[in-house]
Amino acid sequence: MSVLAVTRLELRRLFVRPLAWVLAALTLAELAWRFVLLLGAFLANQIKLGASPSGPGYTDLVAVPMLSSLLTGGLIPFGLIEMALVIVPLLTMASLAGERTQGTLPLLFGTGLPAWQIVLGKYFALLLWLLLWLLLAIAMPLSIAHGVHLDAGKLAAAMLGTLLVLAALAAIGVACSAFSSHPAIAGAASLMIGLALICVNSGAQLAGINNGAINWLALSTHLETLLRGIVSTADLMWFVLVVVFALALATRRLAADKERG
Amino acid sequence: MTAPTAVLQLQDISRHRAGRPAVQRLNLSLDSGQVLGLLGINGAGKSTTLSMIAGALTPDDGQIRLNGEDFLERPELARQVIGWLPERAPLWPELTVIEHLEAHGRLRGLASAALCQARDATLERLDLTALSRRLAGVLSQGQRQRLGLACALLHKPKLLVLDEPANALDPVQVSALRTLIREVADEGTAVILSTHLLAEVTAVCDRVAILHEGTLRHDAAIAGTGHEALEHTFFDIALRGGTGKQAA
Repeated sequence: MSVLAVTRLELRRLFVRPLAWVLAALTLAELAWRFVLLLGAFLANQIKLGASPSGPGYTDLVAVPMLSSLLTGGLIPFGLIEMALVIVPLLTMASLAGERTQGTLPLLFGTGLPAWQIVLGKYFALLLWLLLWLLLAIAMPLSIAHGVHLDAGKLAAAMLGTLLVLAALAAIGVACSAFSSHPAIAGAASLMIGLALICVNSGAQLAGINNGAINWLALSTHLETLLRGIVSTADLMWFVLVVVFALALATRRLAADKERG
Repeated sequence: MTAPTAVLQLQDISRHRAGRPAVQRLNLSLDSGQVLGLLGINGAGKSTTLSMIAGALTPDDGQIRLNGEDFLERPELARQVIGWLPERAPLWPELTVIEHLEAHGRLRGLASAALCQARDATLERLDLTALSRRLAGVLSQGQRQRLGLACALLHKPKLLVLDEPANALDPVQVSALRTLIREVADEGTAVILSTHLLAEVTAVCDRVAILHEGTLRHDAAIAGTGHEALEHTFFDIALRGGTGKQAA
């Protein structure tokens, strides 16, 4: 109940501030453009694609690349996940650091809420916004699903992977915000950690190491399998671990605020 | 017949801030319907004390009891028992007056029907009805103070903690605030009021406590004490570090 009260408050604040709307409008416009380009390329290659019945279809060439360019590279380098590396820090940076700057954090403590409820309430609100963003983005390729052959299982796995990435980035963002007094610093830290998690194994891959611990650390390793349509418990657990670890750190830091004053 | 349990009891609470003792072994108690004025110069430890009472800061040592229950063991007591107006009334600038009250009501666990009733009654009581759709970010400082006070009073707390509530209020608003504090106290709410204004204390408080360098130097009933006597005691403590703690 208390978590819900914090979630409602945070959602209200998200929806009345222009930042969330502007970010949603700009990124969805960019994604719409990406969709049109991907669809155009898919249609232009129909004859070539038709020659190999087991080759990639609409899901591989349009729907999944809307979410990430990790597997496809391709026409436009930034899918939803790549944009999320910037968007999520912008959304999360003020979640706790902003309260600290405005002096409203003690107000929340003064309502008797424990730190974990404040952190979870704020996290759920951000997650709801990100889920809405994801659904609006995926509605574009789904809007013509009746006219194409859609691999629903593969798309569902890719969406799950995307949602988990958003959840992990949001948790990291909230943690950075909990540790910082200034939203901008929290945003920058969150962006850097997100980028580091994506490409921490780039050097190892260049050296031909594909099974090392550093590869396990990389977000891209776990996302890639989900984008290919493979759902493995090990990958899901990696995301759960990141979320729990980040939120636990945020809670600990917030509780320390009350102790330290 | 047993004596009524004090709404608030501070027992030997201490707190360090920025490496120095901000509050040292402070003992205070407050009964229902009593108004306690907390005086002290800047840095005396008033805001630190109030933050601890409100549950926003944990004491290093000592015990805080609310209605006889250990507040440090049960911080959730703050939800129903305490209403707090911090210094400078921090608000969310992007939310309207009414949204503030609704958010505070939900955070305090008020059910929808009770929340609507309390919200409308509080808006009227604090003369905020005309401003209810206005964003907190565009309110004047006096209006912000009133909104902060409304948020603190919304859930009818048993203990009202006010940190310099008369800041930025005009004389008419100060007079209205004094009336409001007395009304709230007459309804049975214990009020602890931190202020720099001695006139404020003599006008509305039943008791006065003076803090200096984090320690309680004076705790006495106001009745029978004139403004000049209080002023003399205050300056003696503030300028010369006088002691002379008196029984309430």
